Amino acid sequence: MKRPGKLSVIAVHAGLAAAVAITLYPVAMVIKKSIEPGKNFALSASPIPHAVTLDHFRELLSTRASSGELLFLRNALNSAVVAVAATVIGLALATSAAYALSRFRFRGRDVSLGSFVVVQMFPATLLLMPLYVLLNRLGLLGSLFGLVLVYATTAIPFCVWTLKGYFDSLPVAIEDAARIDGASAWGVFYRIALPLARPGLAVTALFSFMTAWNEFILASVFMTDERAYTLPVLLNSAVGEHAADWGLFAAGALLTSVPVMALFYALQRHLVGGITAGGVKG
Amino acid sequence: MIRWVTLILLALTACADSGGNGRPTVILWHTYTGAEEIALENIVSAANRDQDRYRIEPVFVPYEAFADKITNAIPNGNGPDLFIFAHDRIGDWAESGFIEPIEFYVDDDLADHYAYAAISAMAYRGSLFGLPMAVKSVALFYRTDLCPVPPKTTGELFEWGHGFVASHPGAYALAYSNIDLYGHAPWLHGFGGRIFAKDGTLDVASPEGVRAAAFARRLRTEKLVPANATGDVIGTLFNAKKTALAISGPWFIAGINDTVPWRVATLPVVTETGLAAAPFLGVEGVLMSSRADHKGLAFSAMRALTSDASAAERARRARQIVPNNAAYENPDIAADPVLTAFRAQLSHTVAMPKTPAMRMVWTPYETALGRVIQSGDDPGAALSRAEDEIRGYVRRRSN
Amino acid sequence: MKQLGPYALAAAAALVIALGSFAAYRNRTFSEAEVARAEAAAEAAARGQKAGPAVIAAAVVLAPKKSARYPFLSHRDAIIGGRTVSLGGPGSPAIHKRLYDAANHCDDHGAFSELSGDSGRVIAAIPTDRGTAVAITQPPSPPEPLPWAILGGLLAIGAVVAYCGITVGGAARTIGLAVGASGLAAPAYIWSGAIPAAAILVIAVAVAALDARGSLRRAARALHEGRIAYAFLSPTLAAMVVIVCVPFVVGLGLGFFDHHRGEWTFVGLDNFAHILSGGGHSLADPLNFWFTVAVTLAWTAVNVILHVTLGVALALVLRKPWLKLRGTFRVLLILPWAIPSYITALIWHGMFQSEYGAINQILATFGLDRVAWFSSWTAAFTANVATNTWLGFPFMMVVALGALQSIPRDLYEAAATDGASAWQKFCHITLPSLRPALGPAVVLGAIWTFNMFNVIYLVSDGQPGGSTNILVTEAYRWAFERGERYGMAAAYATLIFIILAGGTLGIGWLRKRRAR
Repeated sequence: MKRPGKLSVIAVHAGLAAAVAITLYPVAMVIKKSIEPGKNFALSASPIPHAVTLDHFRELLSTRASSGELLFLRNALNSAVVAVAATVIGLALATSAAYALSRFRFRGRDVSLGSFVVVQMFPATLLLMPLYVLLNRLGLLGSLFGLVLVYATTAIPFCVWTLKGYFDSLPVAIEDAARIDGASAWGVFYRIALPLARPGLAVTALFSFMTAWNEFILASVFMTDERAYTLPVLLNSAVGEHAADWGLFAAGALLTSVPVMALFYALQRHLVGGITAGGVKG
Repeated sequence: MIRWVTLILLALTACADSGGNGRPTVILWHTYTGAEEIALENIVSAANRDQDRYRIEPVFVPYEAFADKITNAIPNGNGPDLFIFAHDRIGDWAESGFIEPIEFYVDDDLADHYAYAAISAMAYRGSLFGLPMAVKSVALFYRTDLCPVPPKTTGELFEWGHGFVASHPGAYALAYSNIDLYGHAPWLHGFGGRIFAKDGTLDVASPEGVRAAAFARRLRTEKLVPANATGDVIGTLFNAKKTALAISGPWFIAGINDTVPWRVATLPVVTETGLAAAPFLGVEGVLMSSRADHKGLAFSAMRALTSDASAAERARRARQIVPNNAAYENPDIAADPVLTAFRAQLSHTVAMPKTPAMRMVWTPYETALGRVIQSGDDPGAALSRAEDEIRGYVRRRSN
Repeated sequence: MKQLGPYALAAAAALVIALGSFAAYRNRTFSEAEVARAEAAAEAAARGQKAGPAVIAAAVVLAPKKSARYPFLSHRDAIIGGRTVSLGGPGSPAIHKRLYDAANHCDDHGAFSELSGDSGRVIAAIPTDRGTAVAITQPPSPPEPLPWAILGGLLAIGAVVAYCGITVGGAARTIGLAVGASGLAAPAYIWSGAIPAAAILVIAVAVAALDARGSLRRAARALHEGRIAYAFLSPTLAAMVVIVCVPFVVGLGLGFFDHHRGEWTFVGLDNFAHILSGGGHSLADPLNFWFTVAVTLAWTAVNVILHVTLGVALALVLRKPWLKLRGTFRVLLILPWAIPSYITALIWHGMFQSEYGAINQILATFGLDRVAWFSSWTAAFTANVATNTWLGFPFMMVVALGALQSIPRDLYEAAATDGASAWQKFCHITLPSLRPALGPAVVLGAIWTFNMFNVIYLVSDGQPGGSTNILVTEAYRWAFERGERYGMAAAYATLIFIILAGGTLGIGWLRKRRAR
């Protein structure tokens, strides 16, 4: 491929830098507010703070429950446990389902495939009430396990969709060869298909983790104890009925987003190519 | 892996269940943050220390999720025993059977502890549903360096405001949430307007209401107030010397920078009518769930939370305007200029309507204010439109 | 024994129905007896007689004495066991509060009796000339046990009948199955009437008919052949059915009800009729459903076009081999995806603030006029779109990057030797290879955007005048800002679902037709 002229190389780099600047600007504003003193936003559009303080972080980290426990750590731990468990369960379920949908032809396949797309179309805000009653009946209200179940299953449709696409893009020949050599259906899935699907798995895991980690309204309605809240719920304690503490909110938003950003960074190589061709072959 | 995670989860839930030492727990949901939360925790630990029949356990619930949570939790039997909320939802919750009438426990002597307006805000259809904790309304904050003497009438406001804006380019005379109904209410009432007429029928598009909306638009078109200011914008402008006056409530104080010289005064009198601008009054009270387990104990907890001592603590620490008459005999509290100013404003307030229909008024009314102030629509037409819309939401078959 | 499979299927369904009708029967007889007992106790109290067994409290509550100072305070005395007791005050027993509340309720609404579902406790109150007679009863005995003997016996007889029929074969097989599985209809009829009995009969006949046509055997064979696939799929399907499908079906069903203060009334298609007719608003009114539909479609289309264009453009640039810092650029551009959308929406809302918002300040430094972002439809819509574009382009970019990776470079080199222009290469190589990956991503992105609640609600909040609301935010307003009209909200949700499902099916059909 021929190399373009110097001028257009510079222009492309400048254009990309501008795009990155626009992308980063809102993030920079959050960082700025989190280290700038005061509860309200300052009047300046510059992302450089006029003074620096760690008070907001200190306040956030030292919030205590009425039992005296440090809330931030407890809620962060809850978030981590819930998000990891939801990811593991959701991924285990989604992978096996996606594999079945990709590799087998059976009765009801098209219906199940369709239903995974269709259930995403019902607005989630309106499932709150039925879900509440359901969890109440199952005795899982207020328990982290109930949240895990809800997050794991609500992430499944997207995960199945992505993973099925990924399995479709993998060659079947190796699996057929293994089957001829006498490997069991489970063996073929576990030893051959799964390792090949690693990039797809990484992306879906990331997505499941992110949905569970960021969710606010279900967590705040289903959990009945401050010590069982997740981070987004704690974050919302900065926004009151009449007034909001934006410094505290920004600090919380930053600390809440950092783990997800770190995961994106760690998995970025897999990310590209992990969600190839979702459902290419229908 | 899954088993491992389940084990951790079980362990976590197990340690969450421990604690509590035999006496019944009274669970209290609240939305307090900052100083108010600290004050609440202090009075709760005092109450738990002073007796051994029950233990109050406060649980913070984010404001945004509070109503959702109450409406889901109480009918399903998972709600709190007590919760703290403003009185304007009482009608709704009483009609739905979510909250417990408590006049059984209350006699005249107990009721005499509280300001009459505050405890009657807790009543609905001849029953009492809560004990008042704090009264909240907006008043006039002013920067003494920009406006040493705040305007007493709206006429003065315009006269002084034009001079101020002319001499301070880029600044406003006054900042308030002009397209919020809560922010607009002082003018609405100051012009003699109302949301519901005496007989309870909707009266949004009254001539007084139209005049108030036109007044709000005039404030904006004459550049005395900023467009579309919300709570945090007002705080920012006030701190940055971009406005001399701000209309807000006690929650505003925490956001004012230490370097700002400020005071609080009552809102001006509307020159056209001679009536004082009267903001909405919200009374926060502690209410009992109809599903509370130990109602007698829960009521004792309500008493403890609203006692004179607890009120004094909340007034001192969180600067709550408490409705307990005895609290103001305390010299610290009586001498606090901010509390005094807000108390003075109280006599010119209108209690937020309690009827369930009020919940349907907010959005259409604010849409109308937006049309009048921002898009320049005719106030009469915009308000009649809002009135029609609200009527569409209010049931015919009300019982 | 294996031949009894069809019978087992029908009998299991019949057993569930029969158990349900027994539970209903038991609750009904139990509650009737308890309510009668409580009412009798209240009448006895009114006559001053002694209360019977298992009556917790019986009293005549006297008329309320109003407080002089507080119109909402009143006190009542009661005659309990011949003595006059004052009800109320701190430290009063809990049962007094029940008597007091029951008397108040009776004064407002007339005589009533109320059964508490959890404990079986009944409160009955009747007005008398002396005052309000109130009685509270507790159930004396545990409820009737399940009639296992009847159920088991009928099932066994049914099994014998079915087995005989199957052994004979032919028409006898079908008749045997139908008759054998219908046995439970008789007790179900006695317990709860014709509806459950008819249901059992219908199931029995349907199973027999399916068996006769061989459908059951074919289904069993399909099940057997696909058993590995079903084994892989079933845990997921089970979880989905419980946590996703049940609330989903409930949600769809609620659209046919009206919710008012905790009570649901069936209203048929009223909600849908109200919505589809525009609710009496003109087409140009933001409250008209069709106006919102148009806004939602515009919102979805503009967003998806922008996401795809931006995403593909950036992906193409990021693929240039001579690009410096490629990894850094890539990870920074993905960043918006990692931030929770409600945080993004709140930040952008602040940035669009007309007075001091960052965007207007930047416009001002370039000498441009400030824009009152939420005062005109175009500006508010633009603000929403800008926010959502920031939020959504990384997904499309990542998908496009993945798809571009799979294009072999020699294709381009071959095209270059043939003298193809950059545009021709884009149209004939890049675009066709992107399409299979981008197609599904666009569908998914469209669904997400269509229901993107956070951005609309937190950035423009429908301003000005509700005109930037989309269907989801309208549904939310019905549920939470217009008096808990959950039925209307559910109907909106159902319509959203129909539009999306219809749209997706339509696109699939178009694609298939073009492929042909």
